[in-house]
Amino acid sequence: MLRRIWNRAEFAASSAWQNFWRNATVSVAGLLIVWVVLLALGSLLLGLHSLDEVVNVEKSRASVISIFLADSTPLSSAMDFKAHLERDPRVSAVTFVTKDQAMEKFRQMPALSPEVVESLGTNPLPASLDVTVHDIRDLAAIDKEVRASPLVDKSPATNYEPSVIDKIILLARVAGIAGLVLIIALTALSIFIIMLTIRTAIYLRRKEIEVMKLVGATDWFVRWPFILEGIMTGGAGAILAVAIVGFGYRPAVQNLQSVLIFVPFFYDPNFLRVVLAAMLAFGMFLGVFGSYLGVRRFLHQ
Amino acid sequence: MVSTMVSDATPLITFQNVSKTYPNGTEALREVSLDVPRQDFVFLVGPSGAGKSTLVRLLIREERATTGKIFVDGQELGRLKRRQLPHLRRKIGIVFQDFKLLPNLTVFQNVGFAVRVTDGELRHLKPKVEEVLSIVGLDGKEKKFPDELSGGEQQRVAIARALVHDPKIFLADEPTGNLDPATSWEILQLLLQINARGTTVLMATHNREIVDVMRRRVIAIESGRIARDEDAGGYHAQANLESR
Ligand SMILES: Nc1ncnc2c1ncn2[C@@H]1O[C@H](COP(=O)(O)OP(=O)(O)OP(=O)(O)O)[C@@H](O)[C@H]1O
Ligand SMILES: [Mg+2]
Repeated sequence: MLRRIWNRAEFAASSAWQNFWRNATVSVAGLLIVWVVLLALGSLLLGLHSLDEVVNVEKSRASVISIFLADSTPLSSAMDFKAHLERDPRVSAVTFVTKDQAMEKFRQMPALSPEVVESLGTNPLPASLDVTVHDIRDLAAIDKEVRASPLVDKSPATNYEPSVIDKIILLARVAGIAGLVLIIALTALSIFIIMLTIRTAIYLRRKEIEVMKLVGATDWFVRWPFILEGIMTGGAGAILAVAIVGFGYRPAVQNLQSVLIFVPFFYDPNFLRVVLAAMLAFGMFLGVFGSYLGVRRFLHQ
Repeated sequence: MVSTMVSDATPLITFQNVSKTYPNGTEALREVSLDVPRQDFVFLVGPSGAGKSTLVRLLIREERATTGKIFVDGQELGRLKRRQLPHLRRKIGIVFQDFKLLPNLTVFQNVGFAVRVTDGELRHLKPKVEEVLSIVGLDGKEKKFPDELSGGEQQRVAIARALVHDPKIFLADEPTGNLDPATSWEILQLLLQINARGTTVLMATHNREIVDVMRRRVIAIESGRIARDEDAGGYHAQANLESR
């Protein structure tokens, strides 16, 4: 029994291997296209995941609005203003940040070198009231109201910037749709090319297949080498793509972090593992499905 | 007919009013009925296009009968499921005019191929291949490739391959079509020997000399109909022979 299984496996594997190299050009084309599809898939998933995290961070940041106070504002007026805001039902908390505290925060920003900070001379940063709201949709109204107060600095009055999040969400959506369309097109192409590879292999082996049928080989015995060839093609493309994405993800994130210092990009190894597994599975699927289509029409006499 | 009822008395092959019309409309066989008992030796003759190869293809169910029933060893071929075909084909050894050997395999590998691809008992592969090669008289040529052999030797390899499953039926579709008269006789001797060992042999042929000398059962087909079915027959009908 074991010998029989070994015989089958050995026969299928050696035929598949021969098939792959016999029409190497088409086979390699199939492998490369699977590789490209999976690279696109992996990059898209990781990219969208990063944007998603950026959006989440920005959203939590966005429920806070800093109202900058003019340097001339007396502390008592500032405290009255704070109390006034705290009575507002839309507001959940208000924190007073002095000029010194603002400077301290500024110093701690990771991307700033100490020289830049020293070169500022006297502290140019305003004191502020950091208002946290229950619902970020109320921010626009609060922003409008506080701008009317004489206590508020005029340049700028607040840090309210409604469009940033919307822009990121839009970017994620456009990138997602474009990537999806690209991946669907490449998927169809790769299945087609693998199918072509298998049909070429079947054509090259037509004599052997004829003999196999005459002497009483089962359909599956005839099919296995070709299915295996598809799995090999898809699997090889997948392994190459997994290696590149697996080793390239961390350097890519680090690069982005150093270029876009204010955007919170993260390295997420758990999500990476999921993506790599998905890529491997999808590569195998492309191979199996392509070769199934190649085998189905052509081995049914 | 149920297979448990199959006895030596029931014919190994039965055609009941079998017609075959190809999808393009060609009527290759019309209302063919015949019985072939076990261990029979039958020549299938008739002009080109008469339907001999079609009959052979129906027997291994490479084609299905359009109407009528065909029984092989008690099984009705029309009822066989696709996954049962390998078992039918292992009961039938078949050779053709063009040998159908695989050029990149040696003699030994060509014959062993039939065992390997049918999940045969690998422990017995080597002794079995040696046995059938010695039946066809090719001992010592195991390592040769087909293009190193004469036509007659290549046909012997094909016959050896057809014998590895100990078939009940041996089909030969113009096995001597590519061979010279002397070699044709050698191949025929081999088929007679296979028949003598208990295998039913059906040979489609245009070789008049062999048919006339052998005086075996002859089924003549013309335009898809059985024109003649006689024991100890000749290539042409008796009247023709006498008028010569
Ligand atoms: N696959 C096919 N499709 C359509 N018509 C076919 C097919 N195979 C055979 N035929 C036709 O069926 C008829 C019988 O053909 P068949 O091959 O059975 O004849 P044959 O007796 O074997 O002839 P030959 O002695 O030349 O080998 C012929 O008219 C042939 O053209
Ligand atoms: Mg013919």
